[in-house]
Amino acid sequence: MSFVSIEQAGYGVPSGATILDRIDWTIEEGEFHALVGRSGCGKTTLLKLVAGLLAPSTGTVRIQGEPVRGPGAQVGFVFQAPTLLDWRTVLDNLLLPVSLTRRPQPADRRKAEELLDLVGLSGLEGRYPSQLSGGQQSRVALARALVTEPPLLLLDEPFAALDAITREELQNDLLKLCARHRTTVLFVTHDIAEAVYLADRVAVMEGGRLRHALPVPLARPRGRDVRYSPRFNALCLELRRVMDGADSGVALERAS
Amino acid sequence: MVRAASALLLVLFLAGWEVYCRVAGVSALVVPLPSAVLRTLWDGLAGGYLLPHLWVTTAEMAMGLAVGCTVGFLAGVLLAEVPVLRRLFYPYILASQVVPKLALGPLFIVWFGFGMTSTVVITALICFFPLLENTMTGLQQVDPNKRELFRMLRATRLQTLLRLKIPSGLPVILAGLRVAVVLALVGAVVGEFIGGRQGLGASIIAAQGMMDSTMMFALFIVITVLGMIVYQAAAGLERWLLRRPWKG
Repeated sequence: MSFVSIEQAGYGVPSGATILDRIDWTIEEGEFHALVGRSGCGKTTLLKLVAGLLAPSTGTVRIQGEPVRGPGAQVGFVFQAPTLLDWRTVLDNLLLPVSLTRRPQPADRRKAEELLDLVGLSGLEGRYPSQLSGGQQSRVALARALVTEPPLLLLDEPFAALDAITREELQNDLLKLCARHRTTVLFVTHDIAEAVYLADRVAVMEGGRLRHALPVPLARPRGRDVRYSPRFNALCLELRRVMDGADSGVALERAS
Repeated sequence: MVRAASALLLVLFLAGWEVYCRVAGVSALVVPLPSAVLRTLWDGLAGGYLLPHLWVTTAEMAMGLAVGCTVGFLAGVLLAEVPVLRRLFYPYILASQVVPKLALGPLFIVWFGFGMTSTVVITALICFFPLLENTMTGLQQVDPNKRELFRMLRATRLQTLLRLKIPSGLPVILAGLRVAVVLALVGAVVGEFIGGRQGLGASIIAAQGMMDSTMMFALFIVITVLGMIVYQAAAGLERWLLRRPWKG
């Protein structure tokens, strides 16, 4: 049984437009999958179907065999923006998922501090989000999603607004954090290199459909040098060709 | 530096006023001498004549403010949270605000009698709307991403209200409070014009009856200072509630 299975999932809006068209996809436990595509291709919508934030109009999404009927405790979600509460300290923000269900215990506090340490923010737990840099805010958001140790983590272009160096650091933090508990991950991005660097498998979306799937057979752990290896570049080029090819396919449809 | 210049401006203005009134022999009934106004003010405060009136007006303002703001805030939360109620009631609430509430003063005297109650009701009605309006706006301005975050974390409606919507709408709500505080003073003083036996507004009417312009000016000063104190108090409360270290 796959950890996540998306079966014939479609999503349309009341005006009749189809955002997602019969998507089939499975993620095995502990795998890291990336979803790439241009803006407006439906990748965020697909992620929200998996999260339970949106309900599919056709088909089903299952997590561990159970159909998704709404946001669940087994899913962590990282948004495009850090979405931290400005009036709360870093520690309170980290503990938000816990404090919404019960009073945080000293053990939760220790876990939060350990996570902060792992993302290189130890000592900053008393700061407010406005006192942090963009990269630090993204780290807090990442740690917050993992504080309850969800078996499935969904990320929606979480690093898109960061500079290149900070983004690479955060990608490494993400891989490190997910490896700790073998978290299953679905990562949405428009950055091909990011997808190849992070994922075991990359899916290309175009116009609400999955066009292509590419396994990434690069060894783990992946370091900085991987990014400059010929294999890495070949994989990026292949994905780029797929995206361009899919694009020209659409152009042909329009012309005819 | 600018502060000193600002104070100097007041001194120059008062000196000019004093000199002009003395030289031109302006009647004290029309424009009293600043020195006479200050003496009346001092006598009124030191002799204890003004203190009960100051107390009554402050009490009316505080009660009206407390009632009006509490009801306004709760109604704002309710209308922001329940769209059906908003569509149902908002047009009437708006209409009720267009009616000049001071014009209802005589009616309130019929209902509640002369004295504090009528003034408190008028003040509360005046304070109600800014709080209602700003609470509704504040609660509806929440970042949609944060709302989605709370949905993802399976927060209850009450948790979302208390831990997301109210804290993030607080700056807008407190701006409404600042407006309400100023309006409360106007409400209390003018309410007393209509139906007060005691208070600073009632004292102005009494002084007018005795053609005592000097006392009227002294009362203006008391009211202005009272207004500045409560405004500063509201601004201080706002700063305290929104204290958050900023970047830097």
